[in-house]
Amino acid sequence: MTTASLANTDSTASQRPEYGRTLALYGLTLLTVVTLNFVLPRAMPGDPLSALVDPDSRTYVFADEVRDRLTAYYGLDRPLPEQYVGYLGSLIRGDLGWSISQKAPVADLIAAHLPWTLLLMLPSILLATAISLLVGGHAGWVRGTLADRALLVGCVALGTAPVFLVGIALLLVFSVRLGVLPMAGSSTAFAVYSSPFEQVVDVLSHLALPVASLTLVMIGRDFLLVRTSMIAVLGEDFMLVARAKGLSDRALKYGHALRNALLPVVTRFSMQMAGAVTGAVLIETLFAYPGMGRLMLNAVGARDYPLLEGCFLVAGVVVIAANVVADLSYAWLDPRTRSKP
Amino acid sequence: MSASATARPLRQPIGVVREWAVGRSAGLAWVGLGIIGFYAFVAIAAPWLAPYDPNAYLARPLQLPSSAHLLGTNDVGQDVLSDLIYGARVSLLVGILAATLTLGLSTLVGATAGYVGGLVDSFLMRLVDVLVSLPRLPLMIVISAYAGASLQTTILVIGLLSWPTAARVIRSQVLSLRARPHVEAARLFGGGTLYVIGRHVVPAIGPILVAGFVGQAGHAVLLEANLAFLGLGDPALKSWGLSIRYAINVKGFFFGSQWLWWVLPAGLNLVLLLLGFTLVGVGLEALSNPRLRRHH
Amino acid sequence: MLDVQGLRVHYSTRRGASDGGGARPIRALDGVSLGVRRGESLGIVGESGSGKTTLALSLMGLVSDAVIGGRISVDGRLLPIGDEQAMRRIRWRQIALAFQNAGSAFDPVQRIGSQIAEPIQTHLALSPADAVDRAQALFELVGLPPDRLHRYPHQLSGGEKQRAMLAMALSCDPELLILDEPTAGQDVLTRVALVEMLQRLRRERSLTLVVISHDLTDVANLCDRVAVLYAGRIAELGPTQAVLDDPAHPYSWGLVNAYPLMTRAKDLWGIRGVAPDPSAPPSGCRFHPRCTQTQDVCRRESPELSAPNPSFAGPDRLVACHLGGLQTLLHVEGLRKTFRDGRSVVEAVRGASLTVREGEVVALVGQSGSGKTTLARLIVGLETPDAGQVIFQGRDLARRREPIPLDARCRIQLVFQDPYEALSPRLSVLELVREPLDVQRRGTRAERDEAVRQALRAVNLPDDRGFVARQSHELSGGQLQRVAMARALVLNPKLLIADEPVSMLDASERAKLLQLLKRLQNERGMAMLLISHDLALVRKVSDRIAVMRRGEVVEFRPSHQIVTWPRHEYTRALIDASRGESPIGLVGDDAVPRVDGVRISRGPVEAVTGRSPSDARG
Repeated sequence: MTTASLANTDSTASQRPEYGRTLALYGLTLLTVVTLNFVLPRAMPGDPLSALVDPDSRTYVFADEVRDRLTAYYGLDRPLPEQYVGYLGSLIRGDLGWSISQKAPVADLIAAHLPWTLLLMLPSILLATAISLLVGGHAGWVRGTLADRALLVGCVALGTAPVFLVGIALLLVFSVRLGVLPMAGSSTAFAVYSSPFEQVVDVLSHLALPVASLTLVMIGRDFLLVRTSMIAVLGEDFMLVARAKGLSDRALKYGHALRNALLPVVTRFSMQMAGAVTGAVLIETLFAYPGMGRLMLNAVGARDYPLLEGCFLVAGVVVIAANVVADLSYAWLDPRTRSKP
Repeated sequence: MSASATARPLRQPIGVVREWAVGRSAGLAWVGLGIIGFYAFVAIAAPWLAPYDPNAYLARPLQLPSSAHLLGTNDVGQDVLSDLIYGARVSLLVGILAATLTLGLSTLVGATAGYVGGLVDSFLMRLVDVLVSLPRLPLMIVISAYAGASLQTTILVIGLLSWPTAARVIRSQVLSLRARPHVEAARLFGGGTLYVIGRHVVPAIGPILVAGFVGQAGHAVLLEANLAFLGLGDPALKSWGLSIRYAINVKGFFFGSQWLWWVLPAGLNLVLLLLGFTLVGVGLEALSNPRLRRHH
Repeated sequence: MLDVQGLRVHYSTRRGASDGGGARPIRALDGVSLGVRRGESLGIVGESGSGKTTLALSLMGLVSDAVIGGRISVDGRLLPIGDEQAMRRIRWRQIALAFQNAGSAFDPVQRIGSQIAEPIQTHLALSPADAVDRAQALFELVGLPPDRLHRYPHQLSGGEKQRAMLAMALSCDPELLILDEPTAGQDVLTRVALVEMLQRLRRERSLTLVVISHDLTDVANLCDRVAVLYAGRIAELGPTQAVLDDPAHPYSWGLVNAYPLMTRAKDLWGIRGVAPDPSAPPSGCRFHPRCTQTQDVCRRESPELSAPNPSFAGPDRLVACHLGGLQTLLHVEGLRKTFRDGRSVVEAVRGASLTVREGEVVALVGQSGSGKTTLARLIVGLETPDAGQVIFQGRDLARRREPIPLDARCRIQLVFQDPYEALSPRLSVLELVREPLDVQRRGTRAERDEAVRQALRAVNLPDDRGFVARQSHELSGGQLQRVAMARALVLNPKLLIADEPVSMLDASERAKLLQLLKRLQNERGMAMLLISHDLALVRKVSDRIAVMRRGEVVEFRPSHQIVTWPRHEYTRALIDASRGESPIGLVGDDAVPRVDGVRISRGPVEAVTGRSPSDARG
């Protein structure tokens, strides 16, 4: 996320939408995700889907049972429009197909892996937002001082670095050198816990480094935005009035300034989501974390198309849901959108 | 310190901090340009700079640095230094080509939407809104999976999925330009659409395009590294991301000291190149955005 | 209660390297001293860039990025400017500021009520519930319905926000309330309502007010005293009515005259020149480049506030001018002239007195035979007075013991009534206009010709060879009158006396010529004594009107006052007549009403907005 894209992106519809338009937009996006899922494999050169059932292709599936399931799910023996309708039907029923490589329903696999990804992403996003608001807000408040410049340099560096490098650095320090935190996985393999508390601690200790890596990089990217927004707000008339009222620094900084500064940040949330998803996939790979990202990559390696599509669909739904939440919370945060004056 | 945080006469333009950036950014932009130039040189001169053929299996794997191999060898006995030098090629190539693709598409869509307006604008912008809401990396993964991992796929995927954001920026610039008197005057003189776009719009948004290109190039380099790290890049290419991937997949990797000579240089180079693009981007943006140049 | 001494606020600007050279500070305030007594209301008037807002912010200690000098004391205690913690306790509690732009003064994401309760809780340590109660009471005070408390700023109208701003300012019962442009941007009706509310609040709560405004009506309605701010310094300070009716400082005068008032028919004329650059102000008196009475000392030294010259009435008036304010160019006192022609005795002028100040237009009106022309001739020296003084720039011209020096002669010029008579028919335009220069032997022939051309251009006449060669009988009445004027102007007089300059012209020429006169007066700072019988016309251009009747000046006041609230019966009759109403009891050509108490004026007195001066005031 370079500063070039930060400066003057103006969103056309999704900045302060009316509810009807928002829902329509997201509905459309959902439809696009679904349709893409349908169209892509069929449009790619080499026709990957047919190749699955074509005896002459490299990707021919030998297991008859699996091949039959695939044919049924994809409707490979039926004309295109029927395939689409059938596909939609399956989705509504919750049937995401059968995984070739893992020999299980895709939906089940996703259900098992999604929580780990959410466990990774949600705390990261929340922590990153909170910390970048505080740190960026403070930097904007003390603009020009040494602290501000140090933070500026640090965060720009952090934001530029690829997330897996940050992960590797943390790994080396905390796992290898200090031995404090585990290196990989979501929990210790084959562990037997004597209490739920122990289990929680184990999961958390495995979560620590992945979340830390993702959070740090997201802070690096958000910091500049928050800082700029804060500086803009501090220059507003009402801040001078608030200061004239003799309010304390805390009231000024948090009660008024930050409260207004976070509005543009929330607006850009959809962009943060893209970064968060990307980061999650990379971190999961690095830390061998059993989330959706790993699942997806394994599917790629195994040419497990149903699994792959299922993951993509769910990823799309999650991102859209997050954006809806962001838009709704913007409306809640900025009273100017709620009622027309 | 709060005294410095609130306004002077009644309003403090946001330009004060940008002012600082503008003052500094000229110098910083040159630094960035220097960095990119350095890597461009390395990329072009790779065959002469690299001590060995990076694909040659030369020595025992995972050797520490020695006089023969300045950074040691990787897990299959190839020279790490040569590997790195050729890595610059991939990064820059992907970065520039993907950015060019993005630039072309985003300019086309953004300028058309901004200039023509009306239904065309609405339609294109809805399209952009939808595309922006899609999860990008998963989509890249899916496309790579179907199309196979290759250099072309990588470039296409990055280029095709980055244009919506840039298109928005260009559109808003074109919109504001269209309303400017000198553009309107050109239309009054009878200038056709293409003429006006070519003679007035494009030169005016030129700086934005350049700044955008630099930004996109940097972003593309990052995406390429990400994809390579995930194993979705062309396995035949010597990418820094790929090197790092191989490195950490070596058993017991973290407990040797090999990481210092293998991962660190690759990582540092990546960060340095990205930093170069960022610096140039900041400098260009400050120069191209007239609002930032006012320092009253 | 409030005492400001030598307040200096210099903003430091950070200009980029591309500017070359160092940063020059913006001298927003450069030595302002004023005082406000408890319960009093002081107005601060000035245009944008004068430093008004900086002054407001300084009193609150809110100025940042600036070098601040001088002292501000409240009730004898110095304001701890620079000590943010100490200032916080004082802000809003002792001194509150109602900001200029109420529209952007509120945090858009918080409800109005909580923003008003905020300082109450901070300073008065009330519980949230009590604070809300107090806020409600405040809303009642300013006339806002309590449900507005729960709304957000964007849900209130501009006028409502202004009132809410005021309620917020009053929330902690401050001793001193500063109002920055309290009615800016509001429509007229809202303005009136706001001013009424402010007056009421002031009475009910015995507030000490400082009202900062560029709107003179506000200041007139709300303030006991007013200070005029120019380029970061106080130009004039005094009781509001005195300063607004009879401004002493040339800038105040220009400001007041540039201000549209319903009662003034006069055209608006701006102040010549441009406002000074606050980072590079003129040397000496800041106003001197635009002032028409600049002396050498004005360029060198900056004047301090001191008593104005005696022609300005009113207690406690201060003006920052080396000349004590607008100087009086001409002072005519008790002139008398009687014509004896054989057996008939005509007392043309019987003890007439008037003054003409620098840069002003005084109109001398009256019926034919009232003595106006004689008076003019007396002033100029074409007749010798039997008694009385004609003091021009301090020198009594009537005492003809020594001959009037040449240079004094050319400082007063006279434009006669009849151009055909006033201009010799045998001379060409060039010769006509050049004559004064020839007589005075000024400059070379070529220089004189050039001066003639300049004068012709000034009166909008062509200056080409063809035109200047024409003889006067080839010109129209309007052109002739202009030539006469050019002739009068070529010597650059300080005072121009124009005797019925337009009565012989038709309507369109009349209007054009008057505008021309006014423009010249504005551009050159020339003062004018305009003699006419046409009151309606004279209203357009004059600052003060002297009404002459049978050789005496019966009324001599600012023109807007005379026309709207005439005091003398004769004046009233004249005004009615000029409006087309004929007064009762017009006898002969005198138009004087019966003295035995018959009321003349049946015409309506114009509705007036703004305060009307009581008749008791001088």
